[in-house]
Amino acid sequence: MRLTRRELLIGGTAAAALGAVGVYELVDQLTEAPTRHFGEGRAPEQHLLDGLRIADDNGVEIVVPTLHHEMVTATVSSRPGLQEQAALERVLRHLEDKHPGTPDGLAVTAAWGLPYFRRHVAGAAERHLPVDRRASASGRPRRALLDSIRFPSDPDDVVLEENDVAFLLRSDNLDHIQEGATAIVDAMDDVLEMTSIRKGFAGGGFDGGPGLPKQLATAAGVPGADLIPDGSELFLGFTSTQRHALGPPRIVNFETLGLVDLGPGSYFQGGTHMHLSHVFENLEAWYLNFDFAERVDTTFRPRLAVEPGTRTVPQPPETAASPSDVASDFRRFGAIGHSSSMQSTSRLQADVMGADGTLYRKGTAVPQRADFNTLDNPFFWSSRPRRDGMADGPAPGLHFVVFNPSSDDFHRNRLAMDGVLPDGTKIGLEPRARGQGFNSVLRTTHRQNFLVPPRSHRSFPLVEVSA
Amino acid sequence: MLAALALTVPAGLTACADDDATPAVKAEAAPRVCPASWRPGWQQLANRVHAAVYCPTWMPSPLDGDMKGATKNGVSVKPDRSWLASWLWHEPPSQDVHVNFRAYPGRTAIPRCEDTQVVAGKVRHRDIPCFSDAQPPHRVGRFRVTPYTVNQGVDQWHVLYLWRERGSIYTVSQHVAKPTPYRQVVANLDRIMRGLVRVGPTA
Repeated sequence: MRLTRRELLIGGTAAAALGAVGVYELVDQLTEAPTRHFGEGRAPEQHLLDGLRIADDNGVEIVVPTLHHEMVTATVSSRPGLQEQAALERVLRHLEDKHPGTPDGLAVTAAWGLPYFRRHVAGAAERHLPVDRRASASGRPRRALLDSIRFPSDPDDVVLEENDVAFLLRSDNLDHIQEGATAIVDAMDDVLEMTSIRKGFAGGGFDGGPGLPKQLATAAGVPGADLIPDGSELFLGFTSTQRHALGPPRIVNFETLGLVDLGPGSYFQGGTHMHLSHVFENLEAWYLNFDFAERVDTTFRPRLAVEPGTRTVPQPPETAASPSDVASDFRRFGAIGHSSSMQSTSRLQADVMGADGTLYRKGTAVPQRADFNTLDNPFFWSSRPRRDGMADGPAPGLHFVVFNPSSDDFHRNRLAMDGVLPDGTKIGLEPRARGQGFNSVLRTTHRQNFLVPPRSHRSFPLVEVSA
Repeated sequence: MLAALALTVPAGLTACADDDATPAVKAEAAPRVCPASWRPGWQQLANRVHAAVYCPTWMPSPLDGDMKGATKNGVSVKPDRSWLASWLWHEPPSQDVHVNFRAYPGRTAIPRCEDTQVVAGKVRHRDIPCFSDAQPPHRVGRFRVTPYTVNQGVDQWHVLYLWRERGSIYTVSQHVAKPTPYRQVVANLDRIMRGLVRVGPTA
């Protein structure tokens, strides 16, 4: 199936773009929504998604991601008050009442950027925004939510965004996503100005078949699509949602690991931090320049023995790499693994008793990823097409979404990916060097950090405090 | 320019049918022949390496298989008789049509290449297979080919078809680059393979 250009491109107004599905409608045509085991009720945390299925591939447990994803970003056009706060809460509750917070229902996560806290609730934010204890250890207090930064392998033209709010919508049903996004934007039309819509997909191949990334990339005719292995969860061919590679449910809560001081009143208890970025992926460079062994080396760890054709590679806690392992690998092989380099910061380096009473063992992963592949170029729709570099035609990429306990925690992980390790070691990789594998075929276009409040404060947080 | 790249059959096909002794090819209505203007170069190469070579009867436009033609990119023969024959058309800034033929007479093992990288200011050399990421073998015409998608040296970023015959390795590859996407490269390689004509040494 090949798409016409008209089917691939959706232009025009924001409203039209919200209701449009473009190439992503194929997700529903190409795969059936899998049977899910449903959780009940809503957790205090917005970032948790109930009922995710655990599958097995190559003897490894995998968390099966939702098929459809959408991110809607906006700015707050007028000073919000209690009325606006109640209105947004009302529409979010309506969606919750109508759909369970499971993959076959709809999960909506509202995340707020620093521009919102600075412009609209500055005084309350000064008192209530959590402080990152670890990042503040050197003396200067640093918030758990920081402005996003450019990393060593980022191009100079990466847009550091300044959205006030981002709504992440996840479901196996495209209709639910469309309904949710439209309901939020319609209800808040007089106070939110949409800045972008980003759409995408993941998985779909764990039960056989080519999987969504390959099917959609092939349908869109993007370079390298034919080289994606059948069944890949993501464009780059390897499963990234091994259960051991994702943090347990509440580990990214501000309070769990003790990294963050919640301040008086613990207003944001149950909340977390979210990083959002967009990355173009050069599939031809990945599949025509890196053979399978080198793709394994640079995705996981150099000289890791993996049977050719394997999609899912075990990532157990006991094999998590330390900074010295990463430095040693680089000295021996001239390469670092994407996963192993970040394990020195993304995995617990010692047992930790969490504030939730859970004992988190050494080697446990902390970040919870919610990233999804996309054919947006770079977004599905933008209110600022020139600034955002909107271009015609589909382009393979990733809308990277990850939850961490703080901005600094994410920054540490991302720096480790570039060879800047948490013990201060800089292993000397050139930006986008071949020895980084992944990074050499990625080009980041946009970044922003957000704070995800607990469900109870998800709507225009701190407005009631300011009032 | 793209219009000029439409697939064409080269003019000047003349008889050298006895070069190809395979029954399958003889069964075709019009036997493939090494084009007269291309044949001298291929014959000279076969004589130089004392082994059979394969002359194409079709090349992706605007290339031809003439070793003295406008798009020739050179022929090199090593002391071990392995050889490379290359054709290249380049349109600035970034359009290429690039096809390589290789053979390794008397060898069936995948050759090794040296990969040189500068890591943290130090030059590192690695010994790696010249052709890797083998895809499932399949038959094209009378040849059983194994496609390789990750290749080194002048075959980098090419899709390469490899086949073994009479104790030797032969390859043909094309660059995946504008204006030829992966799928078209595969189609082109299939067409090149179907038209290959064996040219044996005469001296």
